[in-house]
Amino acid sequence: MLNVNNLTVQLGGREIISSISLSVAPGKTLAVLGESGAGKSTLVGAILGLLRASSGQISWAGKPIERGKAALVMQEPRSAFNPRLPLRRSVLEPLYAGKLPDDPARLERLCKGLEIDPNMLDRLPYQVSIGQAQRAGVLRALIASPPLILFDEPLSALDAVTQKHTAKLISTLQQEEGFAALIVTHDMGYAAAHADSIAVLRSGHIEEMATAENFFRSPQSQYGQDLLNAAVSLGAIERAVI
Amino acid sequence: MAIQINGLSASRAGRLILHPTDLTLPVGGRIGLVGPSGSGKSTLCHALVDHLLAESIAVAHVPQSPDEALDPLRRLEFHWRQAERALGLSHDRERQRTLLAALGLDGRPLNVRPWEWSRGMQQRFVIALALLAPLELLILDEPTSALDPIIAAATLDLVDDHIANTDTTLLIVTHDLGLAATRAERLMVLSEGRIIEDAATEDLLSAPATAVTQSLVAHRNWAELPC
Repeated sequence: MLNVNNLTVQLGGREIISSISLSVAPGKTLAVLGESGAGKSTLVGAILGLLRASSGQISWAGKPIERGKAALVMQEPRSAFNPRLPLRRSVLEPLYAGKLPDDPARLERLCKGLEIDPNMLDRLPYQVSIGQAQRAGVLRALIASPPLILFDEPLSALDAVTQKHTAKLISTLQQEEGFAALIVTHDMGYAAAHADSIAVLRSGHIEEMATAENFFRSPQSQYGQDLLNAAVSLGAIERAVI
Repeated sequence: MAIQINGLSASRAGRLILHPTDLTLPVGGRIGLVGPSGSGKSTLCHALVDHLLAESIAVAHVPQSPDEALDPLRRLEFHWRQAERALGLSHDRERQRTLLAALGLDGRPLNVRPWEWSRGMQQRFVIALALLAPLELLILDEPTSALDPIIAAATLDLVDDHIANTDTTLLIVTHDLGLAATRAERLMVLSEGRIIEDAATEDLLSAPATAVTQSLVAHRNWAELPC
């Protein structure tokens, strides 16, 4: 289980996130919602160990998160890959980095689950569609079986139809693989459809934390209410089904 | 009265991206242009803008990202003056104040560079520039994709309010049918460079005629998915 306890991160002397606590259990999905600049990406950076916490603890199963235990799926699928390497090389990188053996059967199974034609992996990032590249990004995150995967706006570069299809593939794989997922997103519809719990982040604080069901039924904070109204007004969620 | 265009087409590197298309955009209408990525939406926008400008029809196109519209090295005041000059307008402080206030940007100094504002504010600034002179057509290309939901919804509401009592036609271009459906009374569906459906929003949602539109309708919003 991912546990973030009283995490504070300062960058350039400014407090970007302040005393945040949250947790995500294996097989569960936490969606972190909030405006640009709320500190969402800083949170992701801190969990990955790329940013140093000023205070507080981040742990998995009670121990600090080791290298390779958390993977990241980035927002812009194509620029997330080395443009000069075939996708296969990048996708298998976590195995090389962790000195883990190749597992062709697992690769094949994951490709099937993500609807990736294995031949596509021999192409360069710019020779595949954005949707295909993002599924390759998910494949790379999954390949070394990390217990925790962080998704930073994983669907925002994809079109509306591809978004929903990709989200469904990720969700199905999560049921099979049992990884914990922390998804940073603006997309309330995505959170409503796929998250178990919701954390609303604003100016570095957690404004509201709830199960997805409770949040979408009746957000407790004014800001959560505003987010929900905006999503309805933009057609991402239909009022009738909330 | 309507903006009427016949046989609009566009090609790139010898390949026809937009097949000859007839468009009728009623004055004051709210129209959505939807279609999957790569269907030719942005190409249609550019061809439309070129065509209308050549006919001296007042049209403004707000691109998907404010980065496409604003020079990072120039201050916002410069962009404003430049837009006024391009439209043959003299500088009018009152008009500037009113327009910025209408988009929720009142009281903010413009002697800053674009990146000193948030993306949402930059986007609204670009929309304010687009609204400087009376418009016959305002094109918003993926108006929400760079913004948080609250800012995105507020921005669309502000634009709606501002053009409510004018003859400005609004064309919202998006891959997201859910968004277009909440904001447009009529929807056109573009697929592989052709308009394959064009109908009142309610009719199109209740009886999509083509497979492409059926897929867009089926994926219209998240909560309808069996999850």
